[in-house]
Amino acid sequence: MNTIVNFIEKKFLPVAVVIGSQKHLLALRDAFINLMPLTMAGSFAVLLNALLRDIPNTYLGTGNVITTFPLVSWIISLNGIVWGGTLAVMGIMLSITLGYTIAKSYDVSKVAGAIVSLSAYLMGLPQSASTTTTLTLSDVLPANIADMIQASGATIATADGVSTITVTGSAWGFFNFSGYFGAAGMFTVILFSFISVIIFAKLMKKNITIKLPESVPPAVSRAFSAIIPGVISLYGSAIIYFLLKQSWALGSQPVSDWITEHIQQPLLGISQGYGSVFIIVLLVHLLWFFGLHGTNIMGAVLNSTYGVAQLQNLAAYESGAEIPYKWVSGSFEAFVWPGGAGVTIALIASILIFSKRADYKMVGKLGLGPGLFNINEPIMFGIPVVLNPLLIVPFILAPLATATISYFATIWGLVSPVVISVPWVMPVFLSGFLATAGDWRSLVLTAVNMAVAFAIWVPFIIAANGVDSPSDN
Amino acid sequence: MITISSPMQQDNIKELLSNYKEDDVTFTFSKKEGIKLFFEVTGNPADAVIKAKELIKNTTWGKVLYFQAQVVS
Repeated sequence: MNTIVNFIEKKFLPVAVVIGSQKHLLALRDAFINLMPLTMAGSFAVLLNALLRDIPNTYLGTGNVITTFPLVSWIISLNGIVWGGTLAVMGIMLSITLGYTIAKSYDVSKVAGAIVSLSAYLMGLPQSASTTTTLTLSDVLPANIADMIQASGATIATADGVSTITVTGSAWGFFNFSGYFGAAGMFTVILFSFISVIIFAKLMKKNITIKLPESVPPAVSRAFSAIIPGVISLYGSAIIYFLLKQSWALGSQPVSDWITEHIQQPLLGISQGYGSVFIIVLLVHLLWFFGLHGTNIMGAVLNSTYGVAQLQNLAAYESGAEIPYKWVSGSFEAFVWPGGAGVTIALIASILIFSKRADYKMVGKLGLGPGLFNINEPIMFGIPVVLNPLLIVPFILAPLATATISYFATIWGLVSPVVISVPWVMPVFLSGFLATAGDWRSLVLTAVNMAVAFAIWVPFIIAANGVDSPSDN
Repeated sequence: MITISSPMQQDNIKELLSNYKEDDVTFTFSKKEGIKLFFEVTGNPADAVIKAKELIKNTTWGKVLYFQAQVVS
């Protein structure tokens, strides 16, 4: 084991350090973390409406006594208001937090970074709306009147003795709220945040700024110093949008839609495969086992793929649309590693029932309370599981088994996909139930997962009964 | 006394903490048992745990480490 550890320290740790401390990946990870208040508030609102509206409507029919009760209907409306300012605008919020964290990573004005990022995203969105109305008359329009109306831009058709007038009106000053403000345009947000704020930051660092006398207040001086970098970075973003719009590839498709269709959806599509889930679970657990922070290192990848998919599922669930993704970030917490990495809640259960070692039983009892809330540090370092050659097999096999069972149960429709973001400390069973918006089958899935994980851990705990403590090695 | 449990970067952790010489807390490496490093500390051990975590996490290699710091009697 020492040889393996030395090998990992020499060959793999530097790579992990680069990935785990790469400032752009950290900025991306932190930007998603900074959205937590909105994600949780919005998830709570959706979850509450699932309990107060969707589940009663499903089992009791619409207009049932629960949803029509005044206090309940007020709460449902209140949750809708919360949703409108949280999950419905996650794309906009991400552009702000990501601009902030990128600017912070470059040690330049964070507020300016946030503003530049938001502006760079908004400028690329379609900003007009159009609508078409058709009016069917009871008679045929006289030719001179039809000519006048057609001269204004309307279309007139005559058939079966009646005329129909079709008018298309459009106006500037409208955003497609559901199309671009929510989770749908997140890759465009990420792309243009990085482009605009990196340009801004590099110009600020090179001091390509307007310098004011010392006597000018610092706040004013800071704002002025951001002018040239801000203008250049925003024009840079605009030029990219302009060139993309001129290219043959886009046609008349908005840039954000093209990025969503040709980059975001294919990447998220890859993340939905069993192979991706398997590799993620394997890698995360190998990292944990060898004393590296699995979710810190993989955080940027997980957040920008499965995290985005989670937000899109949440938005689809709230709007009653088809749930687009089967596997999201919450799926790992709800079903793959309940109790913590390695499904250590099953480890604790196997220790308390089968272990004859005093040290294991003591750690098991101490670890039970935190373990119920998915905090497994006491058990990971107390046994220890970390770097323990006796326990590497179940530590990796148990979550791979739960991932496989949960993945195919979700794909085959045996359980609903995860749609709601639930705090990671939510206890087992409750976590999956709430994350699937109250699907009772999640309880069955969790029970099956716990039984399988328990069956994997037990033989190794029994084997450990006759072995010296790993700390002696 | 406190322990730092980490299978990786043990030498770096020992050097980092042993070289921390501020008034609030000092660390003196005592012994190693498997993945556990034992340090004698001055001042409040609970504060020493917090300081140790902060020092380790502020390094580039510390950001990716999975470790535990706790007070031992």
